[in-house]
Amino acid sequence: MAGRSVVAWRGKGEWDQVMVGLYGGDGRLQQHALDRVSAWKSRYGQRMPLAVDCTTDLIRCKILDVSGNVSSHELVLSYGLALVRFVNLITERKQKIFYIPLRRLATEMNIPVWVVDLRHDLTHGKLPQLNACRKGCDVVLEWLRRTYWSCQLGNNLSGECEEEQDEEAEMTAATETEMDSDTEEAQDLQSQGYLKDKEFHEKVRNVLISFRNQQFGVFKEFQPFGKAQKVWCNPSSEVEWILAQIKDLVQENRDAVAEVLLEDGFLIPTVEHLDTLNIKSDENKELLDIPQLFYCFWQPLLKGLHSQDFTQALIEKMFANLKQCSESSELRSQYLINWIAEFLTASTKVKARKKMESCYQSQKRKLFLRRIPLQWLKLIDNCLGAPCWATPHLLQLILTGMEPPLPSDTQKNLLYLSSIYTQEGSSLSSPGSSSDTRGQPIYTIESLQWKARQDNLAKKQGQMAERQETVLGGGKGEGDEEEEEMETESPSLEELLHPVNMLAVAEKRAALQGSVWQISSDEVQWKDFPLGKLPGQADEPDGLMVEHYSVMSLIDQPMTRDERHSPSM
Amino acid sequence: MERFDPVCSVVLLERLDTPVTRFILSYPDFSHLFRAKKQRVPCFIPEDAALASVGILKCDPESGLLVSESTILAIEELVQACREENDGIPVILVCGPKCVGKSTFNRYLINLLLNHLPCVEYLECDLGQTEFTPPGCVSLMNISDPFLGPPFTHQRTPRKMVYYGDVSCDQDTERYIDTVKYVFNSYKKEVPLVINTMGWVKGVGLLLLIDIIRLLSPSHIVQISAEDFKDMPQFTPEYIHLTAGLHTKGKLQATCKSMDMGGTENWQPCEGERDFQTSTPGHKLLCVKPKFPGAGDAAKARVHSSILRDMAMLGYLGQLQPLETRSVLPLHSLVPYQVPFSAVALRVIHTDVAPKHIIYSVNASWVGLCRIPDEVRCQTDGPVLLTQTPVCDCLGFGIVRGVEMEKKLYHILTPVPPENLRVVNCLLLGNIAIPSCVLLNQQGIEGEIPYVTSEYNYQISGAGKLKVKKHLQRREYNRP
Repeated sequence: MAGRSVVAWRGKGEWDQVMVGLYGGDGRLQQHALDRVSAWKSRYGQRMPLAVDCTTDLIRCKILDVSGNVSSHELVLSYGLALVRFVNLITERKQKIFYIPLRRLATEMNIPVWVVDLRHDLTHGKLPQLNACRKGCDVVLEWLRRTYWSCQLGNNLSGECEEEQDEEAEMTAATETEMDSDTEEAQDLQSQGYLKDKEFHEKVRNVLISFRNQQFGVFKEFQPFGKAQKVWCNPSSEVEWILAQIKDLVQENRDAVAEVLLEDGFLIPTVEHLDTLNIKSDENKELLDIPQLFYCFWQPLLKGLHSQDFTQALIEKMFANLKQCSESSELRSQYLINWIAEFLTASTKVKARKKMESCYQSQKRKLFLRRIPLQWLKLIDNCLGAPCWATPHLLQLILTGMEPPLPSDTQKNLLYLSSIYTQEGSSLSSPGSSSDTRGQPIYTIESLQWKARQDNLAKKQGQMAERQETVLGGGKGEGDEEEEEMETESPSLEELLHPVNMLAVAEKRAALQGSVWQISSDEVQWKDFPLGKLPGQADEPDGLMVEHYSVMSLIDQPMTRDERHSPSM
Repeated sequence: MERFDPVCSVVLLERLDTPVTRFILSYPDFSHLFRAKKQRVPCFIPEDAALASVGILKCDPESGLLVSESTILAIEELVQACREENDGIPVILVCGPKCVGKSTFNRYLINLLLNHLPCVEYLECDLGQTEFTPPGCVSLMNISDPFLGPPFTHQRTPRKMVYYGDVSCDQDTERYIDTVKYVFNSYKKEVPLVINTMGWVKGVGLLLLIDIIRLLSPSHIVQISAEDFKDMPQFTPEYIHLTAGLHTKGKLQATCKSMDMGGTENWQPCEGERDFQTSTPGHKLLCVKPKFPGAGDAAKARVHSSILRDMAMLGYLGQLQPLETRSVLPLHSLVPYQVPFSAVALRVIHTDVAPKHIIYSVNASWVGLCRIPDEVRCQTDGPVLLTQTPVCDCLGFGIVRGVEMEKKLYHILTPVPPENLRVVNCLLLGNIAIPSCVLLNQQGIEGEIPYVTSEYNYQISGAGKLKVKKHLQRREYNRP
């Protein structure tokens, strides 16, 4: 992926609107999109992306065709030029020093060979039939959509946000139905991918639900005798079979399994589930502990899935989830934190056991028997990326379990920093932390530098004042005053420039007296707004449309020979 | 002082630290601009020590300014003509293909002329490599101070300027001719004139150059061309007199053609033709053969011309920096001017934009601030769109910093002084974009920046611009 670059659209919203407009099939929206692209063309000049040019040319042909005002011969000419330009321009960029035959390039680029033949007929042979041109236009538009529009601007990334995926899947589905039937074979690989993804998630969900149901069944049957935990620890053949299925799914896509596991109702219990298990939700708030019962409920599954890759992925997913948690879902954040702690502790315990070679056994918690090397540095990153009240604790666990360990002073500093950082402003409530650290100011590097500067200045001022005092003998309190002034003065650039600026602005204003040109308001914090954006201006794609405009022709100008035709108004 | 004899050269060195240079250096792309390349100095001659301390070193003779014999002769003759003015005031037209040293010749000539004359006029006809203005315009300058550096170091306000709106005139050669004619009309023929022309001298470019020569009827033509350059015939007075241009006809053709022309084709350049024919008294041709290595080879140019254009624009925008301060103020933090939609006419020169989407073109774009003689008339409070591109005075350039849709105001950043801005009633938008570094480096902006993305993937087919491969070889090249 390339670095930052300048493009003709203000933001992705505008891009998306144009793409949907061009391919949506609604004539009015198509025209709107074409008109917007005419503005893009003025911004881009010669740098206009080829694919955008080709797409709009072909769509213009389609609109002409649909209008019914143009005879078939003229349509063949229009379609023809647009098609020739597409084939030539799109393949030209692939040409190296020596001429490579178009057919070969087209094959490499997945452009149907018959489109290349069509081009050949158009330029060197008999003019083809309108139907062939129409078909060529549709196939090429579809090719452009698939290879350019759908892949551009990160549209091809299988994003984390499922909603967006759904929307896009719908959108592509919608355009597909409107496209001619012969383009169907060129189904969007992406939307297939999305569908596959969705299907897979559903599969995982079903298997997990059957596991959950099994466990609940056991609970109902054995808990009255207090034996549910014991039975859970020795899974039945049904449970074993379910576990085997999940293992297969993990093999296929461990991230998806981890994702589903962290949906509400699995590792993160719903209130109803807790009720069923008779777990009071606020019982364990203080401790970083999963309720024993709930732990045992899932233990067979977690044990079964425990592997280097899956455990790592699951912990990372949990941190990522934690990052998105807000106070509103307290249960979720609580369980996420507790599970992370549980996993980390388990890893550490395994380590401890191995190292000491003692036969110490934590009687109740045997999450893993095998120790698995985790990617500890990555975990530190993840942990620090999801700050909450528990971060220092989780960090401590990571540092303890880490192999090889970080130097001890690094450990200390990290812990110290993380505890400073999370004392305040975390989005999660902090039931464990003491409240006396709150209310302390937060220092950023900038504020510290500023403070250091102020202190220095104040010191100098103080010294000067002292000196003055000794020389003049008197003027007590003067130094203090100055110090105060320094303290209140903001060091920002604008302030420093203010008098100069004001003067210049006043002069300009006077020079513009009575003119239509004025100085814009200096009350606006211009520095906060990038070029092309004004205060209060929303990013909506149609924000810069004008409803009315006047047209003016010039009297005293040499009339241009080729009186230009304005585009559709 | 007595140690200096009369032929001594005194070099005054000043630290180049102005608001403009500080502004240019504030962009990461150009921050290394004045940093000298580290070079090993093999032998250190003691007398150079003082000079070396300020960065002046002895170069090998080949890497200095190589002035060929023919150049010296031509310049001597031109200086002579300008001093004596026996045959009227000289109008010197300099032409030749790309990268043969036209600009260097001009600088050398003008700086030498300034030793004898208080000022020289300079007509810039090269849209792509303008010497004193941002790119895309034809301008007439009055020069009284010598100039040495590249264009971005000496952006000046011209006496007359028209914004053509592109770095090449091939899309609309007629408007280009009209533009040159319009600017040239301001030349009062009181001081010598040096005319710089485009490096486009092949095919249509050559025909256009012939038109320009007819139009301007110079007293001297300096034709610079490399040894092996065959595409440009010698511009002798006879050749210019007889050869057809793109829009004008040669003497012979014109007379036989004028009979069957009748009134069928009554187009602009034909009217101008009369001027051309009466005003070709013949010129003196001075042929110059450059001698520096790589002459005429555009591929060997040290800096890409588009980069020079960007820097000229930055140099121009640098004039927005307040003189009093040391620190650089980012462009977007400056207080812009505002002007209502209804007060200025608008025209996109290089392409047709759907009127209702016009603000999408204008927003955050580079505009020429122009003055049309007509009064701006509007029926609504919306934008006023011109139906054709005017050839009119351009007073300077600006960036449309934002457009206020509710209040219908353009906000524009420009160094044009307010007294000139008062008369601006037309915004021309051409095929010249704000240097991308200006949009990419907006310090202190949080969140998304309009027109900037990190997600555009140039690797995808069709994502790039049209690229014309001129020299594609065919394997079966031996065909006729």
